[in-house]
Amino acid sequence: MALLNLSSPHHHSLNRTSRLMMWVLLATVPGLLAQSYWFGYGTLINLIWACALAVSFEALVLWLRKRPIKPFISDGSALVTAFLLALALPPFSPWWLTFVAVLFAIVFAKHLYGGLGNNPFNPAMVGYALCLIAFPVSMTQWAGTESTLNLAQQWQWFWTETMSGGIDGYTQATPLDLMRHPKGLTLDELAATNPLLGLGLTASAWINAAYLVGGLGLLALRIFTWHAPVAMLASLGLCSGLFHMGEPDLYPSASQHLFSGATMLAAFFIVTDPVTSATSRKGKLIFGASVGLLVFIIRSYGAYPDAFAFAILLMNLAAPLIDTYTQPKAYGHQGNKDNER
Amino acid sequence: MGRIWPFHGGVHPPENKQQSNQPAIVTMRVPKQLVLPLNQHIGAPAKCLLEVGTKVLKGQLIASAQGFVSANIHAPSSGTITAIEERTLPHPSALVGPCIVIDTDGQEQWIDHAGIDPLSVDKGELLQCIRSAGITGMGGAGFPSAVKLQAKTQINMLIINAAECEPYITADDRLIREYSEQIIAGIQIIRQLLNQPACIIGIEDNKAEAIAILSQALTGIDGIEVAVIPTKYPSGGEKQLIQILTGQQVPHGGIPADLGLVCHNVGTAKAIADAVLLGQPLISRVTTVTGKAAAKAGNYQVLIGTQVSDLMAFAEVDLASTSRLVMGGPMMGFTLTDHQVSVVKSTNCILASSALELAPVADHHACIRCGQCEVVCPAELLPQQLFWFAKAEEFDKAQSHNLADCIECGACAWVCPSQIPLVQYYRFAKGRVKTLHAETQLAEHARLRFETREQRLIDDKLAKEEKRKARAVAAAAAQAAKRAANPDAEDPIAAALARVNQQKQAPATSVTAEPPEDAYKALKTAAAITRTKLKKSSKALSDALASGHDQVESLQTTVDQLTLKANAAQAALSAYETKLGLDPEHEKQLQVAAAKAGVVVRKLEKSLAIAEDAATIEAQIVTAKTAHATANQALEAYQHKSTALQQQTQES
Ligand code: SF4
Ligand code: SF4
Repeated sequence: MALLNLSSPHHHSLNRTSRLMMWVLLATVPGLLAQSYWFGYGTLINLIWACALAVSFEALVLWLRKRPIKPFISDGSALVTAFLLALALPPFSPWWLTFVAVLFAIVFAKHLYGGLGNNPFNPAMVGYALCLIAFPVSMTQWAGTESTLNLAQQWQWFWTETMSGGIDGYTQATPLDLMRHPKGLTLDELAATNPLLGLGLTASAWINAAYLVGGLGLLALRIFTWHAPVAMLASLGLCSGLFHMGEPDLYPSASQHLFSGATMLAAFFIVTDPVTSATSRKGKLIFGASVGLLVFIIRSYGAYPDAFAFAILLMNLAAPLIDTYTQPKAYGHQGNKDNER
Repeated sequence: MGRIWPFHGGVHPPENKQQSNQPAIVTMRVPKQLVLPLNQHIGAPAKCLLEVGTKVLKGQLIASAQGFVSANIHAPSSGTITAIEERTLPHPSALVGPCIVIDTDGQEQWIDHAGIDPLSVDKGELLQCIRSAGITGMGGAGFPSAVKLQAKTQINMLIINAAECEPYITADDRLIREYSEQIIAGIQIIRQLLNQPACIIGIEDNKAEAIAILSQALTGIDGIEVAVIPTKYPSGGEKQLIQILTGQQVPHGGIPADLGLVCHNVGTAKAIADAVLLGQPLISRVTTVTGKAAAKAGNYQVLIGTQVSDLMAFAEVDLASTSRLVMGGPMMGFTLTDHQVSVVKSTNCILASSALELAPVADHHACIRCGQCEVVCPAELLPQQLFWFAKAEEFDKAQSHNLADCIECGACAWVCPSQIPLVQYYRFAKGRVKTLHAETQLAEHARLRFETREQRLIDDKLAKEEKRKARAVAAAAAQAAKRAANPDAEDPIAAALARVNQQKQAPATSVTAEPPEDAYKALKTAAAITRTKLKKSSKALSDALASGHDQVESLQTTVDQLTLKANAAQAALSAYETKLGLDPEHEKQLQVAAAKAGVVVRKLEKSLAIAEDAATIEAQIVTAKTAHATANQALEAYQHKSTALQQQTQES
């Protein structure tokens, strides 16, 4: 047998990119189920459609870029993007909305920058933000919790955007949206006058708890380190907690912030995206905390109901800078004062 | 037991030690041929002392250390030197190098040798004994041990490295189990040499039997303790072991001795005991042969210089099923593509793996910046950043991210989910940094050489000028000698001044008038002559004073007169020089500056040819050219000025 001439190390762990991605996909399942329970089949249809689109676009672009298709497709990163988009888009997304989002995510945000590993921005967030700006009406048409569409209705809406009797009966503003526009009421009065708020908050809390469970699973598997998610949740909790203490009538409480909107999805599945976040542990802390802060600011004062896409894209932009200033001290470069006997 | 500190990172690859740590060490038969590379160690290669055809005895010195950091080489068995030639070396890039080839006679006939009692000799003798035995670090790097035992600083702690953290390797494990007495004797000799520092033996907790045997052997011995450390790769790296056992980090660019520490391998301790107590030089070592392709995996006492092919045959390695043959461990070892290479002093393992065992990695994926490499890097680097920099050939950035501190342990590449051969990139980058550094040094050398040459040419020119002047002075002196016969005759200063005055009055076109340069020269000559005269007379005066001569008075007068004259001559000369506005120093400086600027232009033009970044270099050239032009202009202007001045003088 011809002897191989290879560089050390000669042994390799069983760690694989595709394995990491697979765990990430699996970890979204609790959240996916919770979302479907409260909002109907929309998210599931979104998901299947987005996955099909993502894999096709990925293959197409790889072919156009004259890259081997199989090894790159099999890394699973396109599916992760598809999952994140499907979960983030409203359950009442028509087919073209998902199409545009995935197209921009895979083709523009990922491959035009050189493919996986080279993209400065989180592809799913690029797709999401683009749709939010271009199609604000469709993007804010969130499903209601009271009555959900059946599969046939959902399917019809998905393709034709028509609905006998109109969709209005089924849509509803998200709790975050309601709380941002209290129409002169205090939050307590709002809750008292609008029973839907309470129900919406409950649904949100369940869904967020489900994502939290999935995220903790990934943490236990050491798919990522705790730094970025913990920093993000802590800073968001701290900011909202402080403001709520100051003016409880105007600002939702910390727990309402942490358990509504896409908080947990972002904390464990988006902020932890390794490609587009800061690298070092200290850098991840800064990255996560900054996202939390930005989310609070945009949620409280911005024009959009939820703020993750923008907060994360902004911090993606800052990640290289954070990396530059948080380079850890290498062995032998720090004084030995702390650990002297 | 002392405290154990953690170190950053590390990985837990499958240990795979049980394949080879069960059987006792087997002494391998003497092979037919031994091939001894002259450079088995870090430092200068040894120099062969004998000629082809010489008969050698086992243990006979055949090549001697050259310089401080080098090591002797001895014949591992008796036989005849049949060649001294280039052979493939056990080296990652399969280099060739000079080797001594010995055809063994199978007699194993020892040269006369005897041990010494370490307690009855002084340190110098002990050290000499270790040095002449050719002992080098047995753990991997192969640094001459005697050098480390001669530490200039106070050593407070001796660390014995028995961690053996690389998977598969069990040579130290077996050595401890079977030779604990000798190892401890060796440690005691090292401690004696270093003024009895405390000693810690660091050993990973996966070697329970070795730990038990060692602790048993140490009962009743003070000053040596066993520190059982958690199994984690690379705890046996020198820097990591130091951190584990002392909590301190060897400062960047420093050595353990800076912290009052010295680290030796267990195998080295045993070799030192053999050298001192038995008088046996380092001619054999324990090497692990393991891997799925080795039918008789285990540890072998192998003569240095044994061919890997012979060792493999002895351990019944199935060559047909060996896909990757590694010298060293799976994490840091290097592949051999040729089995006709020697086991050397630092060869701790031969790993003959089957295709499944160490499966070659399929195509690697892109870096997803997952940061897992950073988590495991024991040097606390950012391996993913280093990888990007190496790939983009941004070597300055790689350096500022402390590429040099990478110990090439391979932990990062081991965990990388994209299976990027990271270490290969780091080696490439380190190599490039080195060559780039060497290139700049070469360029610097060339520049210095060129400048020295330019300077020499200028100096030559000046020296010629001086000579010419000296000749003129001699001629003038001859004339002056004539005049000296008559003390009242017109003295040279007056004459020169008169000539100058005459010139001033004479029209510039006058044929008789001396050109100003000549007048200047004459003045210089006159000044020189008077100075010489003054010197002579002063000498005569002091002689006379010393001998109490009666002419003292008249001599004194002469000296006084001459002093006056000399002063006058110098004054006249200076006055003239000022008038001409000449400053020889300044002109020389300008010339040198012009030459230097010229050199810079040529150098940059050269680098333009090779550099890609033409635009910046072009800009630099323009700047340099401007500098050159300015310098030349300054020189020209100066020369112009001085000519003009001279003409002015002439005209006036
Ligand atoms: S482990 Fe590999 S893929 Fe992950 S950051 Fe490091 S180099 Fe990139
Ligand atoms: S090979 Fe270098 S960069 Fe990689 S883990 Fe080891 S020390 Fe760190």
